[in-house]
Amino acid sequence: MRPFQNSILRLILPLAAVVVFAMLLTFSLIRMFEIENAMRVEAEQNMLWVLHQSEVAALRMTETASLADLGEATPGDLSLRFDILVSRFALLNDGPQRRFLEKIGFSDDLDHLSGTLASIAPMIAGFTPGDGRPLRDAIAPFPRLFGRAANAAMIAEWDELGGRLEIYRDQLRQIIASLIGIMGAGGILAVTLVLALRQTRQRNRMLRRERDFSALLVSSSGEGILAVDRSARCTMWNGAMTKILGTTAEEAVNRPLERIAGFFDTTTVRQGIERALHGETSRQMLQPLFRKNANEPLYVDLRFFPLRNEEDILGAILFINDASDRHAVRQKDTQDRDRLEELVAERTRELDDALLRERSAGEIYRNFAAMISHQFRTPLAVADSALQRLVRRGPHAKPDEVVERADRARGAIAGLTRLVESTLDAARLDAGQIGARRVECDLGEIVRTVCARQRETTPNARIDVRCEVSGSVRAFCDPAHAEQILENLLSNGIKYGAPETSVSVVLHADAQSLYCDVCNTGQTIPDNERNQVFDRNYRGANSVGIVGTGIGLFMARALARMQGGDITLQPDVVGVTFRMTLLRFKGGKT
Amino acid sequence: MFIKVAALTCGLMLAGSTAIADQLEVSLRVTGHFAGAPVTMDRAALNALAVTTIKTSTVITDGTHSFTGFLMRDLLDHLGATGDSVTAIALNDYAVEIPMIDFYDFDVIVATHMDGEALSRANKGPFWIVYPRDNHRALQDIRYDYRWVWQLYQLDVQ
Repeated sequence: MRPFQNSILRLILPLAAVVVFAMLLTFSLIRMFEIENAMRVEAEQNMLWVLHQSEVAALRMTETASLADLGEATPGDLSLRFDILVSRFALLNDGPQRRFLEKIGFSDDLDHLSGTLASIAPMIAGFTPGDGRPLRDAIAPFPRLFGRAANAAMIAEWDELGGRLEIYRDQLRQIIASLIGIMGAGGILAVTLVLALRQTRQRNRMLRRERDFSALLVSSSGEGILAVDRSARCTMWNGAMTKILGTTAEEAVNRPLERIAGFFDTTTVRQGIERALHGETSRQMLQPLFRKNANEPLYVDLRFFPLRNEEDILGAILFINDASDRHAVRQKDTQDRDRLEELVAERTRELDDALLRERSAGEIYRNFAAMISHQFRTPLAVADSALQRLVRRGPHAKPDEVVERADRARGAIAGLTRLVESTLDAARLDAGQIGARRVECDLGEIVRTVCARQRETTPNARIDVRCEVSGSVRAFCDPAHAEQILENLLSNGIKYGAPETSVSVVLHADAQSLYCDVCNTGQTIPDNERNQVFDRNYRGANSVGIVGTGIGLFMARALARMQGGDITLQPDVVGVTFRMTLLRFKGGKT
Repeated sequence: MFIKVAALTCGLMLAGSTAIADQLEVSLRVTGHFAGAPVTMDRAALNALAVTTIKTSTVITDGTHSFTGFLMRDLLDHLGATGDSVTAIALNDYAVEIPMIDFYDFDVIVATHMDGEALSRANKGPFWIVYPRDNHRALQDIRYDYRWVWQLYQLDVQ
């Protein structure tokens, strides 16, 4: 409450002083103008002199009349004196003089003397010596009247002058009082002015200090700070900006912002500045800032503010904060998350695979009987037929024949045993319980064994074996698996080949791998089935009416891959070629 | 009453003038230190000077009047009279020293006629020094008012 009163007083006191000052000054001026006007002396106030001159004229008229009477003055002299006296009357009867005489009460006397003067005129015209006495008698009242009038005029003039001086004194006293008042008001104004000046100086000092402090803050700030005017010309550039962009304040200040660095010519910055100049605050996070001579960009946070002075917008301020560390952390977080996601996906895939395998294993076991009948029937049939022959021949059988048939039966049983082992192995493999026992073995031998066995099973089938490898045809693999794969491919080739055509088995190699192509001239597998033929339990469109489980190729591929090889379906123009690839050496490409 | 008296005075003045006028030769005497001094300018000589008329009020009459005569400086130039001041002397021996500069700063005339009528000796004639009082505020001052010498008959150039 007290400061409020104080401020009101501070406002009202000078205002009142100004009003008083102006009023007193006006009053004094009016008074002084009045005095200035009144201080003119009018000629009518010179009546004492006029009347004195009139008296002199009358006396000299009398004197001249006496002289003329004695003959010492000419009629011309007398006429001159008379004319001068007449002219005094003319003057006294003129407006201002006449009014004065009326005021002091001599107008009637003047009129009377005028009449006398008119009666004197003939006496002057016809003056002769001796006429002097009546003339002097006639003129005698004139000096007396003028003397009395002069007396009255003196008193009137002094009275008037005294009155006027009194008025002047009154007015001057008023002016003096006004001047004292003006001095008082002036004093108050001067004191107020001095106080205001002191306050202003104090405020200026404070402002300067604040400005210096702000400048210090700006210059020592770790954050880049720049300011622009309304035409986007740089007006301020602090040390941190120099550190960020490598441009010094001298180079930057007074230049258009977009010329200082390409970064300021980007849409983001231009829009931010534009919005700030329209009074909007905005921020942009983690903007890349490419600098000269640096490959990696800085990542910066931008904050745009309008620079205001009350309602006007003077320009804009841009704060640039180096947020590269934060960006790096965020980047790492993102990478970690991606890796985690990848891991999860991989794990999920593995789990899915395991689940699928589990399901497939179940499927295998469910179809185990079918597979047994499919894979195991052939050797059983071979053994059975050999033993039947022996039984039928009975005692007629020659020892050689017995040996030969028994060998064939045993061979078939041995194959069957291997098959049982492999099948069990495959089942174990499916359950993840088995690996391939890879050893170095002669693939040519295996091919021959399989072909011989196949010929026994299907005597009508024509099988051509061709070896295009010079030298060793040794492969690094599990021979039982290789045998099983080849048997599968060969039996398929015969089963799906056109009747009366041959199936060819071609061995060839390159530096790393051995290849065994099994080709028939059967119906080409359509494109949409090519990828599916290796699927478990998949049976192609051409398998209708042919005995099979749809496991063979799946098993063959799984086994081949387990020992680092593969089974592929070659793109053929005529017939179908399945290729078994096996490694030639241990540690070769898997 | 006033009108009657004024008429009477006028008649008086006319009587005075007409009585003596014929025997008086109107002339202005100029003395001082200049070639040909002293000079008595008679009517013919004065008529040779350019006629000038000014309208002004006076402090001893009411209203504005028209004064006709010649410029004082024309007279002085005509005579080749130079100096610092001119002492004007009236018939009743009234004498005033007028600074020469007045005649060059202001159009001061020596009037012979007021409102078209010749000035008579019985009424401020034959010559009346008239200042253009209404045209210059500086001239509205008693220090100029006493320089209006009437019944002028002599100028003394110093």
